[in-house]
Formats: sequence, structure tokens, C-alpha cells
Amino acid sequence: MPFSLVSLMGGTVAVLVVAYLALIAVVMSYAALTIEFSQSLRNDEASVAALEGQYLAAVAHITALDYTAAGYAQPVLKTFVRAKSVTALR
Amino acid sequence: MRAQFRSRIRLVLAFLIFAALGIILRLYFVQIVYGEDYSRKADRQFSSGGGELFDRGSIYFARKDGALISAATLGSGFLVAINPQVLADPAAAYSAITAVATTTVSRDAFFAAAAKKAQVYIEVAHRLSETSGQALAAKAIPGVQVLRERWRQYPGATLASQTIGIVSYGSGDSLAGRTGLEAVYDGTLSRSGDSLYRNFFAELFSNVGNLLVNARDARHGDIVTTIEPEVQTRLSSDLVKLTERYGSKESGGIIMDPATGAILAIASHPTYDGNNLQNVDPLLLGNPFAEHIHEFGSIMKPLTMTAALDAGVVTPETTYNDTGCITVNTRQICNWDLKARGVIPMRQIIMQSLNVGASWLATEMGQATFRGYFTKLFGEKTGIDLPNETGALLGNLSKPQQVGFDTAAFGQGIAVTPLQMIRALGALANGGTMVTPHLVSAVRLNSGIVRTLDWGGRVPVFATSSVRETVSMMGALNDEILYNGKAKIPTMSVAVKTGTAQLTAPGGGYYTDRFFHSFVGFFPSYSPRFIILLYTNDPKGVQYASETLDTTFLDLVHFLIDYYAVPPDRGLSAQADLPAATRL
Repeated sequence: MPFSLVSLMGGTVAVLVVAYLALIAVVMSYAALTIEFSQSLRNDEASVAALEGQYLAAVAHITALDYTAAGYAQPVLKTFVRAKSVTALR
Repeated sequence: MRAQFRSRIRLVLAFLIFAALGIILRLYFVQIVYGEDYSRKADRQFSSGGGELFDRGSIYFARKDGALISAATLGSGFLVAINPQVLADPAAAYSAITAVATTTVSRDAFFAAAAKKAQVYIEVAHRLSETSGQALAAKAIPGVQVLRERWRQYPGATLASQTIGIVSYGSGDSLAGRTGLEAVYDGTLSRSGDSLYRNFFAELFSNVGNLLVNARDARHGDIVTTIEPEVQTRLSSDLVKLTERYGSKESGGIIMDPATGAILAIASHPTYDGNNLQNVDPLLLGNPFAEHIHEFGSIMKPLTMTAALDAGVVTPETTYNDTGCITVNTRQICNWDLKARGVIPMRQIIMQSLNVGASWLATEMGQATFRGYFTKLFGEKTGIDLPNETGALLGNLSKPQQVGFDTAAFGQGIAVTPLQMIRALGALANGGTMVTPHLVSAVRLNSGIVRTLDWGGRVPVFATSSVRETVSMMGALNDEILYNGKAKIPTMSVAVKTGTAQLTAPGGGYYTDRFFHSFVGFFPSYSPRFIILLYTNDPKGVQYASETLDTTFLDLVHFLIDYYAVPPDRGLSAQADLPAATRL
């Protein structure tokens, strides 16, 4: 079969067109996925922030709690560590 | 051959005609048959002005176990906007919006907006939750657009809000940190909109360097504070109770590690909720610890005593004759109870908080020596990572009148910020060196690198031996004087000092019935892990700080001992045979 410049160029153009279309597809998919993942991450972060808000509110609630009003009795005895104790003067 | 060529031409022509007919048919369906649907879809995809979603790094509290809890982060949800040109039934649209949105414009404002037919985009509701936004979008109401939005969110609400700061619009149209850490670390926290998505292939040809090493990732990140959320909550709660009980104008407190300057808690009351800045007094937006100065009163005396000991002017055994009142430059200086003590040792100046004794120390030191120490202690800003830090007012130490030095010795006539005060008093706690108070321990860069911040800049002020003598006096004050000795913790040495200063009157001079109360303490006394500074401004119905702040201080001490499981630094002696248990 004789060499044909037209066939070669035609084939090259076809390959380039396919490559061009593939690149566009990849770039568009990449962009769409990046944005989708980013938004998903932000949504998760917002959910975590809501949980953190609940945690901090719970800490504030416990801190402000009046234990005696909640039915707990005041301790009647306070014990301190003696000097000879293993826990003293560490 | 010619006939074959003609048939091929006809074939190509037929293909082109069919293709053209196909395109025309497609255009007919797009524009005529489904035109309205596409128009609505395009309308819903309309984006607001900026087009880019708000993005910003997070600020974290650091719990004692190292867990990070967001102090400032991003909320994510939806906003609702209307297109008055398309909105056909405003009443139905308003009902649908108010059914899912907790905050929206009033009915009147909504209908006024709907009547603006010249406009195509008016926002009517913000911060819809994920489910609410998607539910509203699913209704596909013509002229109602549901768009993604993000906003700055503070999960702790009022917790450390004056220190964390706020994000808002300034003179331009961009959101940026305006106060607190949000402002100081704005360069790290802010995000440029184009960092989310980059066209790899375009960058490959135009900016390959940026593709490999992103300069923004090496600059942008999140910040980790030294603030412990549970300690912060306890301090805030105590300050609220204190302020409400005594009707104070304001109260504040700082808990710091005196060895490093890391601030574990810093709170004041009143404060604000960073999530809701409507109706907030603009004066509250600043940071009182760095921007406000006060005359702190007698908590200055331990510094005066240490300076005198350090300068070699006195020793703990030195005595002086306390006459109850003295006259200096025609002004009278008296003890708090106006009573004379006679000849007493140095220790009593701290334990009984004697103004005459502190003045005597200042006189003994001489103006140059006194000025030297106090300029070193308060002459410079602390360098904390908060904006708009102000300096101390030490003008009286530049004048030749001795009375200015004598009053400064007990904390009147000079004004310093709470941060300067705790930094100076921290030098008593850590053996004589001033550290740099700071709020941020590390920056977590987007590149993955965690950059630990170096807060060096230690300034030696006193010799360790001088400091120990003063700490001994402050410890005796806690064990023997405070609560008549009932404040003593048998297993933990605590060093304290109270301060009561007269408030300045607007026309000059001082009020005789309005006071600024302060309290400082640290423990364990000789190797402290915590130093606590408290103050309350203009409490009603009480005169002395020992009446207002001791309860708050002791609550914090016991909380910190329990929370951090601080080991005892002393125990009950076997010989003394004191009861190991106390009946409450």
C-alpha cells in the first residue's frame, strides 16, 4: 500500500480531536468532582460544628448546674492527703 | 466514474440536510417546546453578585487532652432569593419560604421586594438548613431561587467571643477579620476564591510552578489556640455570677500558665454572641484585656516588695514604723483602716496590705530604682496576639514628686492593662522572668504542615531568691488571712493578693465610695501551673476585693486542681496530727 500523506494527516487530526475531547471531559469531570467533594466536606464540617456547639452548650450547662437544687447532697467530709501518703509531695 | 462521483456528492448532501434538519428540530424542542422549563432552570441557577462562596479557616480551642474544638468555623446552608420579574404568586411564595426559614424578611418587606419588577435578584432569607433548603428547592417555585451559602459560625456563642473576634464587612465588599484573633490571623484564615478549583491543564502551560508548590497552601490554614474550653466555660460562668451578684459594671479574668505565657482562659462580662451581632454595643467588640487600662490597687504591692528585696534595699527581717498615715508632697496616704501598726516586719506589708508600708518601700528604693523596675515591668506592651494593644500610663513616674512613686507602690496613680498586670505578676510565679502572654500555639497550614509558634522573648526582672520571699508572704496571706484561714488547702500551697483601688472621678481625683477590685493568685506556690487574675469594676454594696473575688478565685483553684489532677505539693504533717478529714 503506497504512503499517503492525506491519510496520515487525517489520522493525526482524528487522534488530536479525540484527545481534545477527552481532555475536556477530564477537566470538566475533575472540576465537578472537586466542587462536589469540597461542598461535601464543608457540609460535614458544618455538621461537626453543630455537634461542637452542643458539646460546648452541655459543658456550660453542667458548669452552671446547681447540684443541691438537682437533688445531690453536699459532701459532709473533706479528706486531705497526709505527708506520708504516697500521693503527697510528688 | 463521473456518475459515481455525483452519487457520492448527493450522499454527502443528504447527510448534511438531515443533520441540519436534526439541529433545527432540536432547536425547536429546546426553544419552543421546553423553552419555559429551561428558562426556569436558568433562573434558579442564577448566582448572586460575588458568585463565590465564603471560605475561611477555622479557629480551635484545645482541650487538655489535645482534642480540638471549633471556636470559629463555617456554617453551611442555603439562602433564598426572589426574582420579582418571574415571581407570579408572592403570597404562595412567602408562605412556602416562611414554612422552612427561621429568619426571613417581614411580610411587608417581602411584598415590597416582590413589587420591584426592575430587579431580578433580591435575597429574602438566610441560613436555611440543608434539609430545609433542599425541601424548598424541590418545590421549584417560579421566581424563587435557593442558593448555597456559607457563613462564619461560632459554636461556643459567647465563649471567649471578645478574644476570638468577629468577621464583618469593612469599607470594601469583602468579609475579613475585624477584631480579636480573627483580625490578627486574618492572613492565615482568609481564603481567596480561586483556590478551590484549578484547571490542571491550563496551569500546566501557564503556571507550572504554582501547580507543584502552591504558595497559598504554605500561607493559609487554621489556628489552634491555647484556650481550654472547659476552663474557659468555668471562668465565664463564675464571672457572670460575680457581675450579677454585685451589679458590677464589668468583670474579667485571665488564667495563664506562668512558665510559658499560654493563656488557658480569658473571659469578661458583659460580652456578646458572635453569631448574632445585631444590637451589640460596639464598645463590647474590642478586647478589654489589651485595650483597657486600670489602676489595679494593692495587687501591685507584691511587685513593689519584690523590687525592694531584689534591689537589696530591704530584707524580709527589715522593720519599719507604720504610723497609719503619712503626708507626702502635701497629700495624705493612709492604710485601708487608717490604723497604725507600729514597728513591724516586711511580711506584714503584704499580709495586712499596708499602703504606708508600700510607700515606705518606694521611698527607700529611691525614684530611679523604683522607676527602673516599674518601667521594666510595665513600660512595654506585652506582645500578645491581640489587636490594638494599648500601653500603660506611667506618667507619675516621670515627675519628681515622691507622692507619684508612693501611690504607684500600692497600685494607684499608674494604670496598666490586665494583660500587663498578669505578665508582671507571672514573674513572681515563675521565678522572676516575664514571659509573653499568647493565645495561639500553632498554625495548621493547608499544606499539612503544623507550624508551632515560638513565643520567646523572656525578660528577666527579679532574682529567684527575691521572688521566693514575696511568694512566701503571699502564701501566708492565703493560709492565715483569707477567709480567716479557712481558704487554706492543706495539700496545696496557694499564693494570693487582693487589691482594692478607688475609681477615678471624671473631674479629677478619686471617688470615695466606688472601687475597682482585683485579685491575683497562683499555685502550687513554688512551682505554679496556673496564675489567675480577676477583677470587677465598680461592684455595688461592697468595699474590699476580699469580699467579692475570693469566692470566685477559690472556686477556680479547686476546679483547676480537680480538672487537671494537680498533685499535692504539701501534706498534713504526721507530727502535727491535724485531722486528715474536715467535717464540712
